[in-house]
Amino acid sequence: MEATVLDSWVLAEFETPDVLVDATRQMREKGFQGMDTYSPYPLHGGSEALGLPPSKVPFIALCGGLTGLTTALAMQTWMNTYDYPINVGGRPLLSLPAWVPITFELSVLFAAFGIFFGLLGLSKLPQPYHPVFESEAFRTASTHGYWLSVPHATGQDASAVIDQLKALGATQVTVVTGEKE
Amino acid sequence: MAQTAATAPLDPLEPRDLVAPHHDDKSLNETLLDHVWRKPGKGWFMLFGLTLSALGLLVIGVTYTLARGIGVWGNNQPVGWAFDIINFVWWVGIGHAGTLISAILLLFQQKWRTSINRFAEAMTLFAVMCAGLFPLLHTGRPWFAFWLFPYPSTLGAWPQFRSPLVWDVFAISTYLTVSALFWFVGLIPDLAALRDSSKTKLQRTIYGLFALGWRGSGRHWHNYKIAYLLLAGLSTPLVVSVHTIVSFDFAVSLLPGWHATIFPPYFVAGAVFSGFAMVITLIVPARKYLGLRDVITDRHLENMNKVILATGLIVSYGYMMEHFVAWYSQNQYEMWTFYVNRATGPYAGVYWLMIACNVITPNIFWFKKCRTSIPIMWVASIAVNIGMWCERFIIIVTSLSQDFLPSSWGIYTPTWVDWSIYIGTLGLFGTLFLLFLKFVPAVAISEVKELQLELKHARHNSHGAH
Repeated sequence: MEATVLDSWVLAEFETPDVLVDATRQMREKGFQGMDTYSPYPLHGGSEALGLPPSKVPFIALCGGLTGLTTALAMQTWMNTYDYPINVGGRPLLSLPAWVPITFELSVLFAAFGIFFGLLGLSKLPQPYHPVFESEAFRTASTHGYWLSVPHATGQDASAVIDQLKALGATQVTVVTGEKE
Repeated sequence: MAQTAATAPLDPLEPRDLVAPHHDDKSLNETLLDHVWRKPGKGWFMLFGLTLSALGLLVIGVTYTLARGIGVWGNNQPVGWAFDIINFVWWVGIGHAGTLISAILLLFQQKWRTSINRFAEAMTLFAVMCAGLFPLLHTGRPWFAFWLFPYPSTLGAWPQFRSPLVWDVFAISTYLTVSALFWFVGLIPDLAALRDSSKTKLQRTIYGLFALGWRGSGRHWHNYKIAYLLLAGLSTPLVVSVHTIVSFDFAVSLLPGWHATIFPPYFVAGAVFSGFAMVITLIVPARKYLGLRDVITDRHLENMNKVILATGLIVSYGYMMEHFVAWYSQNQYEMWTFYVNRATGPYAGVYWLMIACNVITPNIFWFKKCRTSIPIMWVASIAVNIGMWCERFIIIVTSLSQDFLPSSWGIYTPTWVDWSIYIGTLGLFGTLFLLFLKFVPAVAISEVKELQLELKHARHNSHGAH
């Protein structure tokens, strides 16, 4: 993800989501890397325009679910069959059908935790401070603005990037610098 | 809008004009966030006062119960389970509509859900919280409730995993956790929107904390979309499993009226039925008060009424099957329960009220006039809520009070403590709900905006095609 020294970005706002997606694709074709789009809702074709690989969340969820499944089966079998056997009317101690409800619930629970913490982890959240917040105009990204960030090395002239973004239809362009991510 | 929908028969999966089309992202934002920034009006404070008073009843009821023990309830021998389990099942059932609206409708790509899902999920959370109180108090010594969890205790004992009551503990706690995660994940983008349109530094800090630094990054959305879908996918079987497990509490026992294989599906349908009714009960006044008529349209309400009709018919079928199986088995105890005790016994009034509310009432929704009339649907939805409460009362109390041996029969009457705890949970639910309406957008803004864009594209494409 970090293609260059990430402490200076060019931020550009676009009029509509479609223009943003289009501009992102064109910038990527020009060889810019580590770009990111910002929008109040997921952009259609946004992931493809950024060239992102498939999300790892489903895999993490699967691992979580399997962990829950194994934990639940092992727990119930060991606790009620070996460690503390309870004889109820002479029914078998290892009664797998009776383990089904809790096994299902724990699989779901662990999978859900996997999804939630997987999402946070992959997105590097919570992250209350991020340099893009330095720009007050950028705050529209969560309400009605469509932004593109292009990282460039510190000290390098950003004007070439700015010109290219303007040519692609950016309505306003700002440069932000901040602490290293 | 209405004309286009009427002239062209649409594919049910195609996006339709569910949001009033005069909105753009910015105005949607203002409309949907308005009720958070606006100072609450007199009506809100009056309602809040009312629900807080009811919450006071809960405090009194629970304190009294804890001080004196559950002997202050009407529970007796043979009716060891009464108000506590009735209310537990009732509240859990109400919670289910929330997950259904959010999850199942999301999986089926029912776009109309976007406007109501936040609302319904909040309802789920609060309802499950209320539900959880009852089994907790019913243990008699709730401060030992952790004994129900498998933890390495000095007693050297583990829970009995062949007991449906332990299954319940796992089912309900999983349900509450997953619902909370699902709700929060859906909320993150809107919390960021709140943070970024805050007027004061304090608001910005608080909403900023909860928004976790969300900035609408495309890389985040990339994971977010799939995470949200997967959580929905998980919640769907979870709903079915939770109420199935709740019904096992009854179905695995041998009591006449409980020992039925129809219970799991019949309980799930009943849960959806009462849950959707509760959504209508709450959403009708809320959309008026919050000014959300553009987003929660009459179409939404009509669709929900159709679900109420469908699940109401399933519930009616459940009643029919219970009676049929009792007759078909020719088991004298089952026959007595269904044909004599419930219909003509000491609780016959509750039984017929249940039939009136659950079997007869939903059938008015066959008529479009009733489906689209706000006063009619509101009254009907309250009737359904009452009816479903009566159903749980009938299942639990009639079966327990008169089972196999007349010598062990007994009558149950709830005490003032029972009533105050029940009304108190209504107060707790209402209080949490009003706070939710004050501090969090009641409609999933980011999803509505996305839907808006999709509709625009769809309109554009269809114009191009014709």
